[in-house]
Amino acid sequence: MTEKSPYIQIKDLGFSYPDGTEALKDISFEIQEGEFIALIGQNGSGKTTLSKCLNGLYKPTTGDIIVDGLNTKEGSIVQMVKRVGYVFQNPDHQLFNNTCWDEIAYGPRNIELPDEEVEERVEEAIAVVGLPKYTHQEHPFFLSKGLRQRVAIASILALRPQVIIVDEPTTGQDVKQSLEIMNFLQELNEKHEHTIIIITHDMPIVGIYAKRVIAMAQARIMADGLTRDVFTKADVLEKTFLAPPQITQLAQADPSLGFNPGTLTVDEMVDQFKELTK
Amino acid sequence: MTSVIEIKDYTWRYLHTESPALNSINLTIEEGSFVGIIGPNGAGKTTLAYSVDGLIPGQYNGIKKGTVKIFGKEVESYKKGELQQVVGVVFSDPEAQFTAMTVEDELVFGMENIGLTIPEIRERLEWVTELTGLSDLLLKPPYEISGGQKQRVALAAVLAMKPKLLILDEPTSMLDPVSRKKIFEVLKILKTEEDNTIVVIEHSLENLVPLADQMILMADSEIILQDRTKDFFKESGLLLEKGVYPPGALHFFHELSNQGLYRGEYPLTVEQGKDLLRQLIQ
Repeated sequence: MTEKSPYIQIKDLGFSYPDGTEALKDISFEIQEGEFIALIGQNGSGKTTLSKCLNGLYKPTTGDIIVDGLNTKEGSIVQMVKRVGYVFQNPDHQLFNNTCWDEIAYGPRNIELPDEEVEERVEEAIAVVGLPKYTHQEHPFFLSKGLRQRVAIASILALRPQVIIVDEPTTGQDVKQSLEIMNFLQELNEKHEHTIIIITHDMPIVGIYAKRVIAMAQARIMADGLTRDVFTKADVLEKTFLAPPQITQLAQADPSLGFNPGTLTVDEMVDQFKELTK
Repeated sequence: MTSVIEIKDYTWRYLHTESPALNSINLTIEEGSFVGIIGPNGAGKTTLAYSVDGLIPGQYNGIKKGTVKIFGKEVESYKKGELQQVVGVVFSDPEAQFTAMTVEDELVFGMENIGLTIPEIRERLEWVTELTGLSDLLLKPPYEISGGQKQRVALAAVLAMKPKLLILDEPTSMLDPVSRKKIFEVLKILKTEEDNTIVVIEHSLENLVPLADQMILMADSEIILQDRTKDFFKESGLLLEKGVYPPGALHFFHELSNQGLYRGEYPLTVEQGKDLLRQLIQ
C-alpha cells in the first residue's frame, strides 16, 4: 500500500463516566497527519470527552483508539504526551507554575528530559507562540487571557506532540485576538505540520480555517466531512443544534438566486455576486 | 421618559495603573431601551458595567471624576445593597458568581437575601426555571454542569431578582449557536413583555443586532460611536478598523458598498439580506 496509514484510528469507541453517563457511543473515524479539523456540537455533546480520550487521559470503555501505532489503553503518559497534546478551554485550569518559563518547562522536565534539552524546547516553544520577553519571568496570572492562552499552548508545544487539540481557542477573545490565535494555529498546521483539532462554537471561524468538520450530538458523530459539505446539510445541522455561519445562511436563503450553498466567507460571497450580476 | 443611566464627564483610573480605564464618558440610556455595547477587549466595557452597579467605586480602589447616576441618583448615595436590587449584572465568568451547592439554592440565594416571602420565591423560581429551561438541573451542583448551562444559571439567578436594569457581560461566550439563540430569545421576552432596560456587552453580534435599539462602540477607554442600530452600522468601516466584525450578512453588504456595487441600508438579519439580494439579482 502506498497510502499513508492514518495517524489516529478510532474504532467503535464508547465511553461512560463512573456514574454511568454514556458520554460517547459508537464512534469510529480516522485522522491523517496534517489535517485541520473542527469538532463542533452542542454543549454536552461529548466533544471534550472525545478529546480527552484521544490524548489518553480517559481510557475507552469499549472499542480502541490507536495513535501512531499505539493503543491508548497501553500507552504510558510519556508516550501519549508526545503524540497528542490537549490545551484546556480555560487556560487557568492548566497553568499553575510561578513563572511562564517554568510553566512551559514543566512538561519536558516531567518526562525527565536533560536540562539542556528542556531549555532548548522552552525557547523554541516561546519563539513559536511569540511570547514577549517581559512575560518569561512573569507569573502567568498577571497576563491577559490571550497571552495566558499562548503560555498554555507553548507548554503543550514543548512536549512536541504531533496532534494539538485546542478546546475553544476563541472563547472570551475579541475578533482581532481570535484571528491572531487562529492564524497562529494555521501556521503550526501549515509550516510545522502539526495536526490541529479545534473544539469551537464559533462558526465563522470554522468556515474560515477548518478543512474538515466533525459534528457531534448526544454522544455520537452526526456528520463528518469537508466544511463546505457539512454546512450544506441542513437536516444534520438541525439535529446537532448547530447553524452554519451567517454568510453561509445568506447564501442558502434563496436557492433560486444561484449562490453556492457551501459559501464560507464574505469574500467568496462578493465574488459570486459579481458573477451573478454581470 | 426617565433616564435609567446618566453618566457625565466620567473618568475612572484603577489604583496603580498609568492611564484611565474609562476616559470622559458621557452616556444616557432611557428606560425600556435595549442597548448593545461592543468593542475590543481592554476597551473598558466591563469597567463601565462595574461602574453602573456600584462595584466601582465600592469594591475597587481608584480615582473617579464626574458622575454616574442610576434612576436619577448617584451610585454613591444608594444605601448598601439598595443599588443591587435595581441593577442586576450577569458576569462573563459564571463561576465568579456561584456560591451554593445546588442550582436551585443558587437561584434562591439572591431572593432570600432581599427578603422575599416563600410563596413569592416559589413563584419566581418557577417562572425563571421555565424561562431559561433549567428544570432538569435544579438539584445538580452548579460546578458539575457544562459551561453553557452555567451561563444559563448565572442569568436565571439575576433574572429572579427582577432588576429594572439588567446588564449582561458576554452572556453567551461559552454557548453553542442554539443555546446562544435561546438566551437572546429570553432577552427578547424581557424586552417586549417585562419592560426591563437591558444592556448587553458582546463580541458575537448576530443575535444582538436584530434586538438592539441602539449600539455603542468602545475603544481605548472611550465611547467612540453611539447611534440607533441601523445608523450605527453605516460606520462599518470604523468598526472593522477597531477589530469589530459586523454580522455576516451586514458585512457582505458593506463590502458590496465599498466596491461600489450597492447603495442603501444594510440588513440586520439574514431575512432582510435575502430580500435585498432578490431585488438586486432578479
